[in-house]
Parts: sequence; C-alpha cells; structure tokens
Amino acid sequence: MGRDSRYRRSRGFGVSQRNGARFVALALLLGAGVAFGAEPKEWLERMNKALTTRNYVGVFTHVHGGRVETLRIIHRVRGRDVSERLLSLDGSGREFIREGTEVTCYFPDRRTVLVERRAPDGPLLGALPAIDDASTQVYEIRGGERERLLGRSTRVVALHPRDEYRYGYRLWIDEQTSMPLKTQLCNQTGEVIEQIVFSTIDLPERIPDAMFKPQMDASNYRWFRADRQVASNTAPALWEAMRLPPGFRMATRSAQSLPGSSEPVAHLVFTDGIASVSVFVEPRKPDTQPAEGPARVGSSSAFSTVVDGHQITAVGEVPPTTVELIAKQVKASKAARQSTSATEGLGLAPQRK
Amino acid sequence: MSEERQSERDSQLSAMFDGELPSAECELLARRLTRDELLRAQWSRFSMIGAALRSERGVALHDRVAWRVQSTVAQEATYGDGSVDSAVNSRTAVIVPASELRAASAARWLRFARPVAGASIAAGVAAMSIFWLRTQDDSQMQLAANPVTESIVLQPDTSSAALARATAPVVEERASNGEPDRYVTPAPNSNASIVPPARLANYVVAHSEYSGPLSRRMALLGLVATDPSEVPAILDEESPEPTAAGAVDGP
Repeated sequence: MGRDSRYRRSRGFGVSQRNGARFVALALLLGAGVAFGAEPKEWLERMNKALTTRNYVGVFTHVHGGRVETLRIIHRVRGRDVSERLLSLDGSGREFIREGTEVTCYFPDRRTVLVERRAPDGPLLGALPAIDDASTQVYEIRGGERERLLGRSTRVVALHPRDEYRYGYRLWIDEQTSMPLKTQLCNQTGEVIEQIVFSTIDLPERIPDAMFKPQMDASNYRWFRADRQVASNTAPALWEAMRLPPGFRMATRSAQSLPGSSEPVAHLVFTDGIASVSVFVEPRKPDTQPAEGPARVGSSSAFSTVVDGHQITAVGEVPPTTVELIAKQVKASKAARQSTSATEGLGLAPQRK
Repeated sequence: MSEERQSERDSQLSAMFDGELPSAECELLARRLTRDELLRAQWSRFSMIGAALRSERGVALHDRVAWRVQSTVAQEATYGDGSVDSAVNSRTAVIVPASELRAASAARWLRFARPVAGASIAAGVAAMSIFWLRTQDDSQMQLAANPVTESIVLQPDTSSAALARATAPVVEERASNGEPDRYVTPAPNSNASIVPPARLANYVVAHSEYSGPLSRRMALLGLVATDPSEVPAILDEESPEPTAAGAVDGP
C-alpha cells in the first residue's frame, strides 16, 4: 500500500514533471515560433538601424519608369550629426547634400541650388516612422528566407500592403551587415514601381568632410535659400485631418520656412509606421492661381487643393489616391478660419530669428 | 581609357554575362570589378539590360530602348520562338557533374548561341543608346585614405552553376517568399505638376526629413535621379521671389 502510494506519488510527481517538461517544451516552441514569426520584422529593424547608424558609401543602380541610372550615396553619422550625399553619376549630375542642419540640392541641369535649414531639434534621421504592431495591421511582413544575391547571402523580406493606400517593399538584406542590397518598391498587385540594386557598399570607420563637397562649381547658379528659422513642434493644433486612410495617424506637426517663400509653412506628418505623408499648409497668395490637382516626383505622389484660403499640398511615397484623400481631409479649426493674420491662420508660433 | 580598351572591357563583361568568358579571365575581371568603379557601373548596366532582356521581374527598359534592343535581337536570331523545352526552361539550381554541365552547356549553346549573341549586341546597343559615363571623381581616393571596416562588392557569380544559369535561356524566377512571378515597371505618370515645381522640390526635401530610411531614399531619388530630358522639369519655375526668407543670391 505504502509502496503503491509512493508509486502513485512518484508516478503523480512524474506526470507533473512530464507535464512541466511538456509545458516548458511548448513554451520554448511557442517562443521559437514567435521569434521565427518576428524574424522578418527583426530583419527590418536591423536594416533600419544599419541605414541610420552606420557610415557607408555605396554605388547603386536605380530603375524607375524604364529608366536606369547609377548613383552614389555617402552616409556618415557622428553622434547626432548626420551627413549625407546622394549624387547622380550619370544623367543629370544632380546632388543632394545634407550636413548638420543644412540641406542643399544642386540641379546643374537647371543651374539652380535649393538650400533649406532644418530645425536643430528636428527628428534624427530614421527616428520616424517606426514599425510597430499597428503597422502589421496594414502590412503583411513576410519572408526572411535566405537567398543568394550576386555572391552575398541575403534575407528576403516583403512588406506587402493589405490595401490600396500604400506601397509595399521587397528587400534583400545582407546577412552580415543588415544593409539592403536590393530594394523594390511595389504596388498592391506586386508590380515593381522602383528598384535599387547596389553594386558596392563600403562601411568605413570615418568619412572625410571632403566627400560631402559638391562636384560642381555652383557659384553662378541661382540660389534659393531659406534663411530664417521658425520654431518647430510648437504649432497649435489648428489644422487637422478629419479622416485618414486605415493605419495612418498623425506623427508630428511643425512650422518651417522654405526657400523662395516669405511665410512659414505648417507641416503635418502622418504615418502608418512604414510610409509617411506630409501635408504642407500655407496661406494662398491672392495674386496667384490656386494649385489644385495631382503631381509626381519619382515614385512620390503629391496632391494640392485649397481650403479656407490656404494652399494645402500632401506629399508622400504612397499611391496618388492616398495623398488626394489626405489633402482633401485637412481642415482648419474655427480659430484658424477666424484669424485675420495669415501666419496666425497657420497656427504657427512666432518666428525665431 | 582608350576606346579600343573600353570596347575590349565591354566585350569581356558581355562574355562574362553570357557565360563565354574562361574562368581564369572571369576571376581577373571579378578582381578588377572590385577596384574599378566605372567597370562596376558598366557591369550594373549590363546586368540590368540582361535582366530586362530576360524579362526578369522588376526590370523593364524604356520603350524606345527596349524597341531598339528587341529589333536588334530580332535581326540576329529568332528569340523566344517557343522552342525551349521545359527541362532547360528553369533556373532551379541543380548540381550536375562538370562534364555533363559542359555537354549540356554546349547543347544549350547550339540552340541559344544566336539569341544570346543577339542579346549581347542588343545590350551594347542599349548601353550606347541610353548611357554615358561621367569621369570618375576623387571620392574613392579620399575614401581609400580611411580605414574601411567592411567592403561589399557584389560580383557576378562565376561558379559553374551560375554559368549554367547564365547560359540557360530566360525564365521567370519564382520569388522565394510567395510574391507574384511577374513584375512590370510601369511608365512614369506624366501628369504635369500642378504645384509650382520648385515648391514641390522643397516639399519633397522637407518631407524626406520625416520619412523612414527606405521611403526617404526613394523620395530623394525622385529629385536626384530624374532625367531632365523626358520628365517634366522640377525647377522650370517662374522667377523666385526676392524675399527675406527666400533670398535669391549666390552661394
């Protein structure tokens, strides 16, 4: 009896042990499953981190609309200072250079230079937007399989849009460095809109300042500059979107000066965690024709409309219908409509000299 | 680089893509690719053109170029005549003995030498018609003076399997992650800009500040990579305003 009892106890304990073991095994399996399921997202996070925190110099081929062009990108991070240079190696010879708070675009084909000053307390590159759980509601993140790409071992990750309001990505992420060696921007049906393929990427410890100098003499070009700074992130919420496409939410709002304009512009940013759309609001000049309708710059879409005497323009790497929908949903609050001053109407804080 | 030498390099690259270059020369060329940026750029273009000729996903050349390429191919050979059997019409990597590989390769060449040669010539035509190279600047030299922790050079895979794939006729490559087989690069939207173009450029730059790393690059590429010859000009704008905030002057 006692033996049986011991046996039962022992057996019972054994069952309990086995159940415990099963539970642990199940937990491990589930954990592994979760980790496995999260793997593509982890690769995206690694890639974003690599793109924003590493020094790199790369040459890549860009295909868009049947056009092929070779470009070089130089990216340097020193503390919170991000410098970047993007230049066309063939074709237009255009360059985009960011150094600290100054952003300069050289258009040698138009003999024109645009200079913008960013707010020193603006977002560090890549700080916005962030892939989160809400993003997975509007994108299916899949893949993570290993694939050989031109001699390198990569992980292929696809961000597939669940609706027509956003584009998707297919990425070939280098296993060793987490740099995206190949990127495809796709629409919802899988058509490639734009493609980037790197031929080389160097990851130097240091990149000299000289590499952020333009390769052209632009001294006799037309220069458009925004000299004055305006406070950012202090604008009252006088402009807002009444309705947004699924998954989009307001990320930030700011006021900024733009080259060629005497008035500050309200800048609202909406994001779904992957894509973002900016809405710019500025008082309409009475002597100009109102701008209304769509436009495109590369794969970016834009849509302009006029609301309450203000010019509204939405810009983003999203389908044209998305920017149109957002632009048409931006409305002024009662305070904005009643304001007499154009600057007050923007809901902007006083400018900082 | 002399014209003759350039032509020789182009021929070598073309031969490498076609799987005709002997392996020793492949190695030499691959090594040269690590040092020569112009050669790498040329290689990238060949790979794009090759992909376009093979109708690989995501790559389609501009209509005019594609027409020239296709008509050259058509003159050289019957391309895509449907005679390809299903056994060779696959890019699935299969490990086979070297002798069989050579025999299969030779057999494939008998069938496809003319189209591939046509494609090579077409690639040359396309390269001549749409590309021109800028002189190399001194950035690489500047970089060379600094330690590089890691350097990635994407090279053509010159292994036997890769060569076998290169000599095989074209095929749709099935995506590993379940994406559709076929991709087409749509023509750019030709909508004229409604917003004043320089203002639009300003907006794109300002917007890029708040984009994620990937979409940010795409946004800036729209400004930098746009070919002025065919896309509505970004900066053909009225005279800028001489205002305090929008001063127009020299540097």
